[in-house]
Amino acid sequence: MTPIVAMNNWFSQRMQRWLAARVPAVSHVLLDRRNIFILPTGPGLLFLAATTLIFVTAINYILSMAFGLAFLMVSVFLLSILYSFRNLQCLSLRGLGAEPVFVGQDAAFAVLLEGEGQRPHEMLELHFPGQRWSHADLLDNSQARVSVFLPARQRGLLKAPRLVVQTRFPLGLWRAWSNVDLAMQCLVYPVPVAGPLGGHVLASVSGKSEASLAGTEDFHGLRNYQAGDSLKQIAWKSLARGQGLKVKQFVDNADDRLMLDWAMFPGLSSEERLSRLCYWVLELDRGDIDYGLRLPGLEIDLGRGEVHRRKVLSALALWNGSKGGQGDRSA
Amino acid sequence: MIEAREAIPRISLLWLLAALLLLIVPHVVRLPLWVTVLLLSCMGWRLLIYAGRLGFPGKLLKISIVLVALPLTVMQYGAAGVGLDTAVCLLILGVVFKLLEMRDRRDILIVIALCYVLAMLGFIYTQTILATLHAFVCFILITATMLSLYRDNARNTFKDNGRLAVRLVLQSIPLTIALFVLVPRVSPLWSMPLPVSSSTNMGLSDEMTPGDITNLGRSTELAFRVSFTGEAPASEALYWRGLVLDFFDGRTWRRAGSTLQTYQLNSRFPTDFRGVPLGEPVSYDVIMEPTQQSWVYALQLAEVSARDMVQDRNYSLITERPINQRYRYQVNSYLQHQTDLQLSGTQRARSLQMPEGDLNPRTSALATELRAAAGTDIDFAMAVLQHFREQPFYYTLTPSALGDSSIDEFMFTTREGFCGHYAGSFVYMMREVGIPARVVVGYQGGEYNPYEDYTLVYQYNAHAWAEVWIEGEGWVRFDPTAAVAPERITLGVESFFQDQPGFMEDAGFSMMRFRDTQWLNTLRLRLEGLDYAWNRWVVSYDENMQMELLGGWFGDNARQGLLVALGSTIALFFVLAGWFLLRQTHGTRHDPATSLYMKLLQELAKSGVPRQRGEGPVDYSSRVAIERPDLATDMRDVTDLYVRLVYGEKSGAADVKDLGNTNLVNLRLSTRQLRRRLMTPLRRLLQACGLVS
Repeated sequence: MTPIVAMNNWFSQRMQRWLAARVPAVSHVLLDRRNIFILPTGPGLLFLAATTLIFVTAINYILSMAFGLAFLMVSVFLLSILYSFRNLQCLSLRGLGAEPVFVGQDAAFAVLLEGEGQRPHEMLELHFPGQRWSHADLLDNSQARVSVFLPARQRGLLKAPRLVVQTRFPLGLWRAWSNVDLAMQCLVYPVPVAGPLGGHVLASVSGKSEASLAGTEDFHGLRNYQAGDSLKQIAWKSLARGQGLKVKQFVDNADDRLMLDWAMFPGLSSEERLSRLCYWVLELDRGDIDYGLRLPGLEIDLGRGEVHRRKVLSALALWNGSKGGQGDRSA
Repeated sequence: MIEAREAIPRISLLWLLAALLLLIVPHVVRLPLWVTVLLLSCMGWRLLIYAGRLGFPGKLLKISIVLVALPLTVMQYGAAGVGLDTAVCLLILGVVFKLLEMRDRRDILIVIALCYVLAMLGFIYTQTILATLHAFVCFILITATMLSLYRDNARNTFKDNGRLAVRLVLQSIPLTIALFVLVPRVSPLWSMPLPVSSSTNMGLSDEMTPGDITNLGRSTELAFRVSFTGEAPASEALYWRGLVLDFFDGRTWRRAGSTLQTYQLNSRFPTDFRGVPLGEPVSYDVIMEPTQQSWVYALQLAEVSARDMVQDRNYSLITERPINQRYRYQVNSYLQHQTDLQLSGTQRARSLQMPEGDLNPRTSALATELRAAAGTDIDFAMAVLQHFREQPFYYTLTPSALGDSSIDEFMFTTREGFCGHYAGSFVYMMREVGIPARVVVGYQGGEYNPYEDYTLVYQYNAHAWAEVWIEGEGWVRFDPTAAVAPERITLGVESFFQDQPGFMEDAGFSMMRFRDTQWLNTLRLRLEGLDYAWNRWVVSYDENMQMELLGGWFGDNARQGLLVALGSTIALFFVLAGWFLLRQTHGTRHDPATSLYMKLLQELAKSGVPRQRGEGPVDYSSRVAIERPDLATDMRDVTDLYVRLVYGEKSGAADVKDLGNTNLVNLRLSTRQLRRRLMTPLRRLLQACGLVS
């Protein structure tokens, strides 16, 4: 690490720590003088340069009215600080969270902007550092809902970074901004990747059998014994090896049920398996069948519907390989 | 900062075009016609692009426009050199050309910055009230352009932008005034080329060929304005002394060159200053129009305190720099005085200089003859004046041309002339007999403006007179013109020449023409007075005036006081503006119904039935009905309406809104009735008498 990079890191860490103390993470922030910052913009500096030129000309030609013009410009410049500040002051931001997305999509974090005072808030711009801007205006209505976007690059819980809310109202000479941490997060599902269910597993949709797979004949994997399982399917060998009571898992083509299993995608990495599982969850959810999910260390019973699908997808999103070690390398 | 290229809102373009058009208007008179046409066509083109009728010009076209316009401009102004006019013209052209390739926000921001500079450029030429108002309106338009640039919402309309721009600018004015007064003014950092406009009147020149001054008689241009601290001296005492012309070559009177070398630039008076003030001085304040020359006018014997001005041996006031804009100075003049009781050898020689050769024998003979008849030098001077008075001399603005023997021809042949002829011949005759004498040029008289209490001196007040050195008295002023035409001095040049052809010939349709129409003349003097006040207090506010003003406030520590005052003014501005702009921040807004109800609750609480915490309006109403049966009916009405308004159906539908409005009116009536019931008898009485609201 070069010294400069080290210093940058040190500085940004310091900055983050300072911000965390000054503008702490909460789901609701009211902007006031403690968390609004103001600096001139590029156009603001250009405006000052023009003012300086006029001022110097006024001195050299001894032009009283040119002095007046330069001073009027300075006054407008200074006054717009107050206008910029006022445009953010008493604006409250509430993090409404984000709908889950798949890896590769943009997470849309919803923010509710509310004017606490009686005045409008114009030309509000919000973004996460480095991402695209969203715009909002609170003119006559006292609240507005804005989506702020952040690309989801990784499965799991995406924590929103500090949100930048800024305004260049009224003249674009100043940028008033605040970095708020609304403690928002977004669930990111694995990216769905189409792929056949493992070689000897039957995907049974609406009772139509496919390929050469036959119901009770097709060994798919082992799972823990549950009350009601057929004795024929108990894996006696496993039991004998002292691995507990296991049941050989078969796909039953006669049934509208499918248990999606980690083991259905042999030879793939965990992420690839999760992506394929995700694909199948979405596929099955569209069809009229019950499905469940079995991951190492985690099992979700058969079910269907919106809530079930979310539950399954969250499990895929949040599954952490280090926790469930059992059966990871089965089949 | 956000996206590298941001589109220009359509409304911004219209604002900008309006601002630019207005900015260019005052320059049009100075710009060549083809430039104006080019400017208008470029703006029109941009408007067509806006309307979608035309595209942006191609690269080739743009380059060729610039390649044609640039050399043309330089050629146009070539004769006058590359001066300020050229620079202004090029800047305007540049800004307008930029319109045709202005595509994003960055481009328009540059144009806007240049527009501010353009607004300033106008002030180099004129700083009148009108010019200031013009620049102010332009400033608002440019500000509105900037505002519209960032405001991509429903408020980006002409009305809303205009209103906010006006508000912003007006709110900035108090600080602007404070900065104007308090920011320390400094001397120019380096010298700049100045506009030498052909319309600038040069005032008096430093040489006089009799006949010269007549041109000035035609001009109604202002020379300077004077306001006296006390009462103004009588008009005939107002001899505004300018330069001494003591060298005569037979045709032209000039300054003797070597006088210039005696300037003592660092002292207020020359070291051997020999003026003796007698009596009390009159003090006055002069604002002079630009002359491009480096001397100013004052009543003899003048005492000045300006740092950039000195007095030469002839008691003329000489400035360090040519006066190229309105110039203000303060003078104390000792109207009673004696100067140069002893005349040095050089002075004497200079005041007796005569042209080579004997071109005017008849005048010389006349002088010798009159001198022999007179007892003293003064008697002789008086005799010459009497000669002018008694012989048929005419005072006219249109004298005949004179040949080589100019003095003789004037004295004996034409006998008509303006002040220059009389003064020149008078001095010539004095010198002929060995009396030191010299010609003085300046202005005489002035028009008093009773509305603003000051005196206006115009170019047609230009005058020339003589000074004669008398043993034991020093220099004594003689005005031969007064001998020929005393009314010229007592009544003023304008009434004297009123009917003469040539007088005010160049005035055109100026208001001067109408000085006989009473109300128009009053209007003229009032406007003139306003302009004078503006110039005196605003335009000529400079380093000297600032120190004078602030010295009165802060005493000796004016500099420090200035900085402290400046700092505290800015702080005060921020506190006041901040309070004004940022207050009322946390008050929750109530709809009208709730505020009525809240007000009612306060009064009910005062009269002993406060609402309990958590008590709903209906419960509260029933409790009030029990505790105060007299209020029961009204309270029930109010509560009923209030509940319906606040908790009832709310939608944008017109009928619901109407119903809401009706309910609100009813609520207002019921509340008023209820509150009246709550009043004490005393209060009711007081209200009946109109003593309380």
